[in-house]
Amino acid sequence: MAFTRKAQTYSSSINEVTIGTGEKAVTIGGSNVMPLYSFDAPLKNKVAVGAEITDSGVDTTLPGIASYYEGAQTIGEIAARAAQMPGADFVALALNGADPNGDNRPVDECVEIAKQVADAIDVPLVVTGARNVEKDTELFSKIAEALQGRNVLFVSAKEENYKTVAASAIMAYGNKISAESAVDINLAKQLNVLLSQMGINPESYVMNVGSAAAGYGYDYVASTLDRVKDAALAQNDAMLQMPIITPVSQETWAVKESIVSEEDYPEWGTREARGVDMEVCTAAAVIAGGSDAVILRHPESVATISRMIADLM
Amino acid sequence: MYTLTFKIEGRPHDIKCQVEAGENVLRAAERMGIEMDAPCAGNGTCGKCRIRLISGALEMPQNPRLPYADYEEMWRLACQSTVVGDAVVWVPASASAFKQDIATADLSTPEELARYESAIEAIFSTGLSKTPFTEGCGIAVDIGTTTVTAALLDLATGKVLSKASRGNGQIRFGADVINRIIQQMRPGGKERLQRAVREETIIPIMESLFRDSGKTSADISRIVIAGNTTMEHLFIGADGDSIRLEPYVPAFLELTGIDAEKAGLPAPPDSPVIFAPNVGSYVGGDITAGVLDTLMWDSDLMTLFIDLGTNGELVLGNREYMLTCACSAGPAFEGGDISCGMRATTGAIDSVRIDEETLEPQYTLIAGEKPAGLCGSGLIDIISELFRTGAVNSKGKFVRESRRIRYDEFGGNYIVAFADESATGSDIELNEGDLDNFIRAKAAIFSAIRTMLGSLAMTPDDIDRVIIAGGIGSGIDIEKAISIGMLPLLPLDRYSYIGNSSLTGACAMLLSDEATDKVFEIGRNMTYIELSTEPGYMDEFLAACFLPHTDHRLFEKPEEG
Repeated sequence: MAFTRKAQTYSSSINEVTIGTGEKAVTIGGSNVMPLYSFDAPLKNKVAVGAEITDSGVDTTLPGIASYYEGAQTIGEIAARAAQMPGADFVALALNGADPNGDNRPVDECVEIAKQVADAIDVPLVVTGARNVEKDTELFSKIAEALQGRNVLFVSAKEENYKTVAASAIMAYGNKISAESAVDINLAKQLNVLLSQMGINPESYVMNVGSAAAGYGYDYVASTLDRVKDAALAQNDAMLQMPIITPVSQETWAVKESIVSEEDYPEWGTREARGVDMEVCTAAAVIAGGSDAVILRHPESVATISRMIADLM
Repeated sequence: MYTLTFKIEGRPHDIKCQVEAGENVLRAAERMGIEMDAPCAGNGTCGKCRIRLISGALEMPQNPRLPYADYEEMWRLACQSTVVGDAVVWVPASASAFKQDIATADLSTPEELARYESAIEAIFSTGLSKTPFTEGCGIAVDIGTTTVTAALLDLATGKVLSKASRGNGQIRFGADVINRIIQQMRPGGKERLQRAVREETIIPIMESLFRDSGKTSADISRIVIAGNTTMEHLFIGADGDSIRLEPYVPAFLELTGIDAEKAGLPAPPDSPVIFAPNVGSYVGGDITAGVLDTLMWDSDLMTLFIDLGTNGELVLGNREYMLTCACSAGPAFEGGDISCGMRATTGAIDSVRIDEETLEPQYTLIAGEKPAGLCGSGLIDIISELFRTGAVNSKGKFVRESRRIRYDEFGGNYIVAFADESATGSDIELNEGDLDNFIRAKAAIFSAIRTMLGSLAMTPDDIDRVIIAGGIGSGIDIEKAISIGMLPLLPLDRYSYIGNSSLTGACAMLLSDEATDKVFEIGRNMTYIELSTEPGYMDEFLAACFLPHTDHRLFEKPEEG
């Protein structure tokens, strides 16, 4: 008997969430098949790739990054350059300098930086915070107010501050948020339920189910992504049908392979090549697992991953 | 060296002791034989060891269990305070609450006595026969982790001549079995723990049984003891350490050949002392004796038996087979680990209703005029009501404003009764830490039920009946327990409450050798599941740590019609 291929499509689908405004607005999610299974049904939207910049300027220790941003002086110029990065669909502003345990940049300055970035680009803007719950709550609220109507995505609200962040970013100023949980399907779902209990529209937020650099406990991430997608599609669990964004660069540029110098580990090759490898393989893994958007730092990673996405669509 | 002076409420003389700088006040009190409740074993998490600094100084870090206003009024937690100089402290009588005889829900009312009598009758209508004693009396003892209850029976007639109960004297060494075992393994611990349950608890209970019945120790020809595995180990002085450590195998399951002399109990030396058999480290004689009472061993109905005491134990099965497991629910159902929690006794709020608009509560008390705290059923009610009215979200965090809700740096607090309405003279309030503890406790129960059902490829609907026993009391509102995701969504008529099944089972063992043999048979035939090594359990537990559950479909009532 001849083999007849059966398309594995589901009656449920991932929610669609749009960030940004105008022609270059980006919509993610929407598919009703397993991640990248374009042979089962056309994928509704392409996985989006974001180019990450930080409030502390260009990392000139990496030649590839330094040369890409060469000549860009102000944060606006850096942002404009990032927006044009080949393969990038959006710009992600990481406010690392706002961390109270680091430079502790005041909220007003961060708001000013975010405004300059937003004014310099026509692609959507994603703002990732200082990874400090109290500071992020204030940052997100103030920036959401300053960028009202720009449909900015704030990454991420957590269980500790989701109420305030959702109330200001989404309800008051019409922006979007992502809901972050620590690599556990139950915690991810619980936060989504809490947001829905507040009356937040499911099209107003995405999930960040947590990540790890490849080789650093990534198996937990893989199984969490698998279970989330299975629950969303096969079990039609509406509280897990939010698209997923993964800030890959924050994980991969913090691990040993991306940090130690070539002098100390000559057999490992250049630091930059290692960092790009870590970023690319982690991003490829989370996309295969079901991430609908990734944030990357290096232009070469952005180019590689966007080519992979295009080839697999 | 400094001098620490204890002024103890109700005692004419002060107790002075010499202490080193840096010495812990609770340890100093223990050294001087001053009895203070420390259900958390001095970890600073229960807030029960309150003392008041009268003069001098003590050092104590801020603690969420001691509100700042109380700290200002010189209240301290003994377990968190260290000596920095001479000091005089006042110890309130409430610091040793376990000493007071407490009213328990065992055989103290005509209804309970009637339930007991019909249970005994039912046990002996299954084909088991009573041993034909012609004279003498026997005592059945249920050693609970929190409460010890006993009854004195006329063996010939089977009549209950007297009953008594009191808090387990070991409670000052920790509320839960793990802390007790840790205390037992300290130098001299074995004797201390044994003395606390025998000399300070069971023997006084027996004396009051003798007093009330007019009998004496010479009349006692048979004693039955049912306790959880740890309680039986601590009573007899066996090492409890192997219960606590992997692979969790107790020193014994069945303890036989003990007489009153070996057990150190006031009865003729050769009177047998029979221990209900244990099944595993965390399913003990209280459950095997309890199963006898449920009659599930004589029925085709698929029965889920839940003992909600200081820990939750579950048995699932029927005459064909039985599975059992224990879940670390902790003492929340008896009011432990909850700042305003208390046992089901005078002053305990046992049911609550909260107005949706104003969030004002209406409550009933078990007895007494003014509320002193909440017992297990009151806690289930209040959490169900706070959730229903939207005062707390599914994570158990406060999200509404009202004059009843006060926020501080540790989160929200719900004031059940203001100071002027309460028996204690201070606000009775439930904080987010309490909600957390209770949600974890209910999650432990529900995830254990799910795991056990899952191991048999069953769903809750396969359960024909659920029998609930234990210290939570008959006041438990099943519908509300379901609404918070503690018990599975089943028709309410499948649920029933049977009181202290362990004591009833022990009484039946007292009256009959056949019943005793049956309990041993039940113990040997049960399959014990160790949840801590069950791969899916942690996932089930996390999913259940939500109101009512992360998978809300488990608690959606099917459409009518």
